[in-house]
Amino acid sequence: MLSRSFVTATLAWLCIAATAAAAQTRPDSAIIPKDPAFEEKVREVASSLRCPVCQNNSIEESPSLLAQDMKREIRQRLAAGDSPDAVRQYFISRYGEWVLTKPRAAGANLSVWLLPIVALLGGAVVVWSAVRRWVRQGDAARVPAVAQSSAVAPAVPDDAADLRSRRARLQAGLQELEAEFAAGRLAARDLAILKERDETDLARVNEALKRLKKDAPEAGRPRSERPSPDGPRSVWLARLGWGVGLAAFALILVVSLRGAVAARTEGGTITGTQVTGGAAPLDMELQKTGPLDSLRIARLEAQIRGDSTNVPALIELGHLYLAQGLLDKSILVDTIAIRLQPDAPSSAEAFAHLGMILWSLGQTDGALKSLDKAVFLRPELPEALMYRGIIYFAGVQDMRAAAEAFDQYLAVAPPDANTGRIRAMRDAARQAAAGS
Amino acid sequence: MRWQRWAIPASGVPVLVFLAWGLTQDPHTIPSPLPGKPAPDFALQTLTGDSLRLDDLKGQVVLVNFWASWCLACRAEHPVMIEAAKRYRDQGLRIVGVVYEDSRDNARAWIAERGGDWPNVLDVGSHTAIKYGLFGVPETFFIGRDGRILFKQIGPVDQDVIDRWVPKLLAAGSVAPAAPADTFAEGRSAGHVRASPEFPTARGAGPK
Repeated sequence: MLSRSFVTATLAWLCIAATAAAAQTRPDSAIIPKDPAFEEKVREVASSLRCPVCQNNSIEESPSLLAQDMKREIRQRLAAGDSPDAVRQYFISRYGEWVLTKPRAAGANLSVWLLPIVALLGGAVVVWSAVRRWVRQGDAARVPAVAQSSAVAPAVPDDAADLRSRRARLQAGLQELEAEFAAGRLAARDLAILKERDETDLARVNEALKRLKKDAPEAGRPRSERPSPDGPRSVWLARLGWGVGLAAFALILVVSLRGAVAARTEGGTITGTQVTGGAAPLDMELQKTGPLDSLRIARLEAQIRGDSTNVPALIELGHLYLAQGLLDKSILVDTIAIRLQPDAPSSAEAFAHLGMILWSLGQTDGALKSLDKAVFLRPELPEALMYRGIIYFAGVQDMRAAAEAFDQYLAVAPPDANTGRIRAMRDAARQAAAGS
Repeated sequence: MRWQRWAIPASGVPVLVFLAWGLTQDPHTIPSPLPGKPAPDFALQTLTGDSLRLDDLKGQVVLVNFWASWCLACRAEHPVMIEAAKRYRDQGLRIVGVVYEDSRDNARAWIAERGGDWPNVLDVGSHTAIKYGLFGVPETFFIGRDGRILFKQIGPVDQDVIDRWVPKLLAAGSVAPAAPADTFAEGRSAGHVRASPEFPTARGAGPK
């Protein structure tokens, strides 16, 4: 995990350093005469290639040194008479198709071009069938009212017995239709049409019965109405299907995109930490970090853009970056905080962060110096005391100093996940100190 | 109609499957077309002023290690390279460092401080880095006696990676490695090295 954060740190440093370096143009870019058409060609090729360092930028946009070198390579190859496609092909042969900002319409990539069309056609089918159904419903509602009015006689309430027998006939007919369909003697489309017709009739009969009952309550027997027998069940199943699908979708989003749920930051990428940031916490547990941290980070970054001398924000950001394994960014904001207030107790945390990072990079001496300064500024800063102990214990192997530092830590730190481990280390350090 | 109630939710299933697959991929894993191909030749000046041509080392197992003095991960990696040089030199391992986006003075000071007696060449203008499809430093290419790249490590190498690949390369003698070039070149876009269990990339192989 740490190795990825190393690479991330390296990449990010390159991007930062490159912005400053971008102003310097290299001498050999001046060798080739500036011809507008040629420059346009260079620009065209450079924008079609992705920068390997700042991965969401094209070579044309990226300020990184490698992108500038790649642009020079493009320039040289074009000047030597290569076609733009040949230049692109060269970069593909080195970096793979990945290097193209716009994938080629071939092979699996074709899906990118075809899927929208497929989706459009699928949507058209859904709309078409829905419209057809509505039209049919409209017809069914109109036709019986005119043509079958005599058959149902909704307006003229016949006697109740007649209506009831009619209802029984219709219900039996509906069941028969279902049976016919189940036996395969009836097409689904025909079933739908016939069912629709009979159900409309049934509804009218029921309506007439109800009216009759209202006029003469004793005439009608109370009986609950039921829609078609399979209706509620399939509706319920469909709802369940939708529910399960939505839940699965939400789950995938939450699990996979936790790192990406943050406002886009200045110079950041549209995918947030999803692509450019890896979480690689140090070996000791820092304060627990959660999915909301990226939101907090975005907020703090915005505050700092508004006021770059906001030390508390810088220090909190340093802590969050560190907890997320963004060592390079943590170094950057901690250094700024220290530069702004080198001797303020509030900078102790920044020194502690730098100490932890240096220790994780194997810089024992620098780490100790930074942590000593942190403890000098704030004698009861738990993480500084803890890491000092760890460095004396595992790095310098001065067991007496380690035991002392761990004691200090245990005296001030509230019990948490680390307490047990530190106590064990303190005991081991004491034993080793006594033994020597 | 019954099927329509199902068709719409059901059409979401392939989308979900696709998302579940795509969102769990590691976006850092970028396929390289280079493993299996001949290592691009370069002729560059070393930090000590000699000139070095990679093709002159043909017939030997070579690690081409891109690094820079400003690169933190390279510091962590360097002791591993020193150890590798010590352990495998007698069996014929050669290491060539390529200094990336850096100055001669910085690189010299870095080596003087940290050790390492193999040649380091200065890649001015990143021409060689681009030739090797470099994303950043450190990156290390494991090249067999036949001059083909067998494996590319993105990020720092560790002892594990060295011990997995170097003996294999040394044992291969002057015979081409068992895997034909096509193993890497075929497949989706540009040969996902990770897809081949025999030749995992750094991230697939590294100890976690």
